[in-house]
Amino acid sequence: MFLRMIKGTLFRQWKKMIMIAFTIALGASLATAMLSVMLDVEDKVNQELKTYGANITVVPKESSVLNNLYEIEDGGSGGAYLREDELGKIKTIFWAFNIVDYAPFLNAKATLDDGSEITVVGTWFNHHIELPTGEQLDAGVVSMRSWWETESGEWLDEQGNADENSAMIGTALAYKLNLSAGDTLHVKGTKSDVTLKITGVYDAGGDEDDEIYVQLATAQKLDGLEGCIDSIEVSALTTPDNELAERAAKDPSSLTVSQYETWYCTAYVSSICYQIQEVITDSVASPVRQVADSEGAILEKTKLLMVLITILSLIGASLGICNLVTASVMERSGEIGLMKAIGAQNGAVSGLVLTEIFITAIVGGILGFFAGWGFAQIIGHSVFNSSINISPIVIPMVSVLVVIVTLIGSIPAIRMLLRLSPAEVLHGGR
Amino acid sequence: MKKRKMFLRMITASLMRRRSRMLVALLSIAIGATVLSGLVTIYYDVPRQMGAQFRNYGANMIFTAADEDFTYDDVEKGISQIDSGDIVGVAPYRYETVRIRETPVVAAGTNMEGAKATSPFWSVDGQWCSAPEEMLIGASIAEKYRLSVGDTVEVTYTPEEEAEDGEVTVDNFILFTVTGILDTGGSEEDYIYMSLDDLETLTGTGGNIDVAELSISASADALTSYMNKINQNVGAVNARLVKRVTASETTVLSKLQALVLLVTVVVLALTMICVATTMTAVVAERRKEIGLRKAIGASDKSIITEFMGESMLLGLLGGIIGSVLGFIFAQQVSINVFSSSISFRPLLVPVTILVSIAVTGLSSLMPVRSATDVDPALVLKGE
Repeated sequence: MFLRMIKGTLFRQWKKMIMIAFTIALGASLATAMLSVMLDVEDKVNQELKTYGANITVVPKESSVLNNLYEIEDGGSGGAYLREDELGKIKTIFWAFNIVDYAPFLNAKATLDDGSEITVVGTWFNHHIELPTGEQLDAGVVSMRSWWETESGEWLDEQGNADENSAMIGTALAYKLNLSAGDTLHVKGTKSDVTLKITGVYDAGGDEDDEIYVQLATAQKLDGLEGCIDSIEVSALTTPDNELAERAAKDPSSLTVSQYETWYCTAYVSSICYQIQEVITDSVASPVRQVADSEGAILEKTKLLMVLITILSLIGASLGICNLVTASVMERSGEIGLMKAIGAQNGAVSGLVLTEIFITAIVGGILGFFAGWGFAQIIGHSVFNSSINISPIVIPMVSVLVVIVTLIGSIPAIRMLLRLSPAEVLHGGR
Repeated sequence: MKKRKMFLRMITASLMRRRSRMLVALLSIAIGATVLSGLVTIYYDVPRQMGAQFRNYGANMIFTAADEDFTYDDVEKGISQIDSGDIVGVAPYRYETVRIRETPVVAAGTNMEGAKATSPFWSVDGQWCSAPEEMLIGASIAEKYRLSVGDTVEVTYTPEEEAEDGEVTVDNFILFTVTGILDTGGSEEDYIYMSLDDLETLTGTGGNIDVAELSISASADALTSYMNKINQNVGAVNARLVKRVTASETTVLSKLQALVLLVTVVVLALTMICVATTMTAVVAERRKEIGLRKAIGASDKSIITEFMGESMLLGLLGGIIGSVLGFIFAQQVSINVFSSSISFRPLLVPVTILVSIAVTGLSSLMPVRSATDVDPALVLKGE
């Protein structure tokens, strides 16, 4: 009988039930979309902030010591170099997945035909790396210097038609030497000389405008430094620093074992630096404060902002559902009064109303979850051009929310209806 | 006159007698209005507030010398071209090669307050220097000379002018106290920083500076127009944008704003539909009443007018409550997230109220119409 009554309500009053289901679906989809976006926004904004370039630099440990001892003025780091063959190891550290990009640099001093000195920088442009793990990665300055504009010509394409004499030249130097894309330039290093073919002129808006960028091997040959690099710039996704990270950055050995583990297994910029130092021989990896600190501040603010907006929309959605449930239960005063008049117990009436509402809520909640997933993807694709990962925790959160909200919405209405005397309701007085 | 009085009485009576239902409706409208005014306020305020956060990345415009003489006065002339509310910080820099323990070191003279504002990412172990004869040293310098906070060290400078008539050139020197060690992860770690006055005393020459860093809170377009204006109007200054900072800021900031916009649109649309369904439910409940009125001779028009009047009154009330609550919410968000207050947007109040009225009006129009369209006998019978 109970089942039949419920079925009866669901089918005969389907219009009303659809409206409840629809509102609950709306609320649930709002909750799903906002929670998903909120939980994923940190990763997404972190990716966007990568346009500021590297947040970690790696240099040889001895560079400052050697410079100091032998007073070597030029020649970059003065005798201490990192090893090119170890570059792949950066992608094997614990947080390898968080390393989005990196590029090695080698500064070579070279002279032009007229005797003036210039800096030739050897690096990766869009270098293709195949890692021992089978992973593949395109890394280099094309993505790490996203703010550079090519004034004429185009980016040097390592995977395309560029040979080892290809080069890119800074706009200030190009202007001084009156060069443009397609021209050639003869430079002489300490060990060999080369005639560079200019593929593009870039505008970096900084000191790099007076330099020439070539492929790593070309710069190494100029100075006879095969297999050597001066520095590595690493772009990594990091977690904003907290007190633990600051303490660890000063001295990792001051931590207890469990603190050390927490620190090592969290993507703090200091722990990533530490792990890079572990794999690159005789290196010092340090965070670039300008990028690392600012990233932390912006990430935190964005996350907090999204959390507060999410809370507002959750409150809005809950009150919306609550209201509708209250309104639609109240609307049934006549029906409930009739039931009571023919002898229904309060418990039976409440059970019936609650079951009906819950069946509707479950249907609406499931529909709403998928709709919300769709909304989250729309937001992800139109803002960040990538899909939003729905974390599994969203499902229990939304279900609990829907259940609690529906309950809260129906209880006061049901209590009010139960207080009514059947005669009065049926008479139409209230 | 009488008719209007009766109309008002009917509306207020219906609101008062059906208090609990009306409270439900009012609450839902107020929620919708709160979400509307709160989110829209935040949406308009996000670029400004986030822009301030992006100033953490440091200077986005630099002044360099356009001719031989470049003094702080020239910098001030340049600054006068910029809206003073936009300026976050200005730091002049003068670089000289000095010596510590007979080895050359680059010393930068600056205004510490300005440097603090333009380079918020500098992490100083110890104190920023504030008194004369105090200095900050970069981390690599500290390591090289084994200096720590509180140490004193002699900084010497050899004047450039040739000694005349066999006079011996005398080195200038000042005994500096190290107040802090600078950690930036960049080239700043190789320099020592002192106040501009100290550097002038040390070198014995004053006036000129090498470069001035400016941190300006403005969009990329506004920055470009400032730059052009300064380059045109102030001859002694060559203004340039720090592309890395400005270009990236535009990219990220526009994404963030798009994010808040989309979220606002989605939340608003869903909340408004929620409000509409609640209103529909509240009005649909009164089909019998409508039927009864029609049966005793009320015209469709008068019924619709009355219901509309009622729901618009609710919309007005809800809109007012929502505007206030929305502003309070936006204010709380701004204080919690950005620790600064939000400016009140008067225009948003009528907009919120109008939207609330429109949503409630439209959403109750539908069920009222469907009730009036039906034969009163059918409605009263409950079909």
